Amino acid sequence: MKICVDLEKCKLHGQCIIAAPKLFGFKDDGSLRWIEQIDATQRQAADEAADVCPEQAIWIED
Amino acid sequence: MLAADVQDAPYINLDDPSFSIRSKAVRDARAKSFYARTPYGLAILRYDEVGELLRDQRLRQGSYKWPAHNKASGSFAEWWVRMLLSRIGEDHARLRRLANPAFSPKLIATLQPQFIAIANELIDAYAKTGRCEFMSAFSEPYATRVICALLNLPHERWRELATLAAEMGLALGVTYKADEAKINTATQAMFDFSRALIGERKRNPGDDFISLLVQANSNDKDALSDQEMDDMVVLAVFGGIDTTRNQIGLAMGQFIDHPNQWSLLAEKPELARAAVEEVMRTRPTTTWVTREALEDFTYKGLDVRKGTTLHLFAESAGTDPSVFKPGFDITEPRKQHFGFGGGTHHCLGHFIARGDMTEALKLLSQRMRNPSFDGDPVWLPDSGNTGPIMMKIKFDPEA
Repeated sequence: MKICVDLEKCKLHGQCIIAAPKLFGFKDDGSLRWIEQIDATQRQAADEAADVCPEQAIWIED
Repeated sequence: MLAADVQDAPYINLDDPSFSIRSKAVRDARAKSFYARTPYGLAILRYDEVGELLRDQRLRQGSYKWPAHNKASGSFAEWWVRMLLSRIGEDHARLRRLANPAFSPKLIATLQPQFIAIANELIDAYAKTGRCEFMSAFSEPYATRVICALLNLPHERWRELATLAAEMGLALGVTYKADEAKINTATQAMFDFSRALIGERKRNPGDDFISLLVQANSNDKDALSDQEMDDMVVLAVFGGIDTTRNQIGLAMGQFIDHPNQWSLLAEKPELARAAVEEVMRTRPTTTWVTREALEDFTYKGLDVRKGTTLHLFAESAGTDPSVFKPGFDITEPRKQHFGFGGGTHHCLGHFIARGDMTEALKLLSQRMRNPSFDGDPVWLPDSGNTGPIMMKIKFDPEA
């Protein structure tokens, strides 16, 4: 499974980091970093991050 | 720019009761500089800078200072500094994670049929007369009953809840001191209501937000204390009602001023989602949000000292002519506005607000043709949290 982020839509609110701190974070320069390849055990956290994104910029590819 | 040059920046008097966020003074200041001085901190006026500072890690949410700034005391002020908006860091993240599932877009989508049913029922009551006082006939009951649907509250208590929310909302206006006793009494009553509701959900659990909080609290008090649970329920009820009430009123006012846009929306209901965004860009109820500097730093040549309050002007950023083509046009592709704030404290309820306002505008535009003001509307001050107090409307009576 793969986490995808549309960086054009992303406004760096950081809601994904609150929802799934193990999968998302900010780099030192303030840009978004995330774990792309995830396994089934990380799916729920990834879904929660995708759900809460105010811009709906995150989706999961199976 | 050196720190001394801050004194040369434009000055806008936010504390003046007649101050308007849309005044020439603010527009002139925005043309001259990305920031202005105010009686209490700095105002940020342009799109790019508001967007960046909303999520800047060197700033924290500033509203927690509101009681200190207003010498406020009593149950509203005490709740205000304890609740989600005033929390920061891991404490805030913990509470936000708990609340998120109840406000997810998937869950809100399931409420859409209820939004439509509530809107139609309210419009049915006045559509044939061709006249209404829009705030009491539609905006207020609609916003309140949407919260009743979300939290599974008895709809027949909507008026009581709307009144309490409106009285608590006086806290955010310029007349705070005169209203302090009334605000604290309403807050107390809202707590009584919330605690009774929590007790009821303990006895009869469901799958609503209150039941979710009760479950989290009974599993682990470190995850959600009793106090935090009460505070969260009060926030869910209060936070959802007053803002949406005002925002729908602002939407109606904006469309009355732009009749061609209203008929276009009636013909093309698929534009309703964009219409909500266009209203919130140009007429947000939350005209600004505040941040406070956690450290000294320099931003685009502006020296910001630790403790400085920054007012991030959502309305001024949303109408910034360097970013947005002028005018109110629901067909024009626009960049994201800041009517829901942004960053860590981005409005928790925005999916429900967007969803319920989309359905409301679709139905209102189809059933209230050619609306015009029936006398001058009465407005809250055009600053802080704004909106109509009263708005009488005439329109084509429904056959």
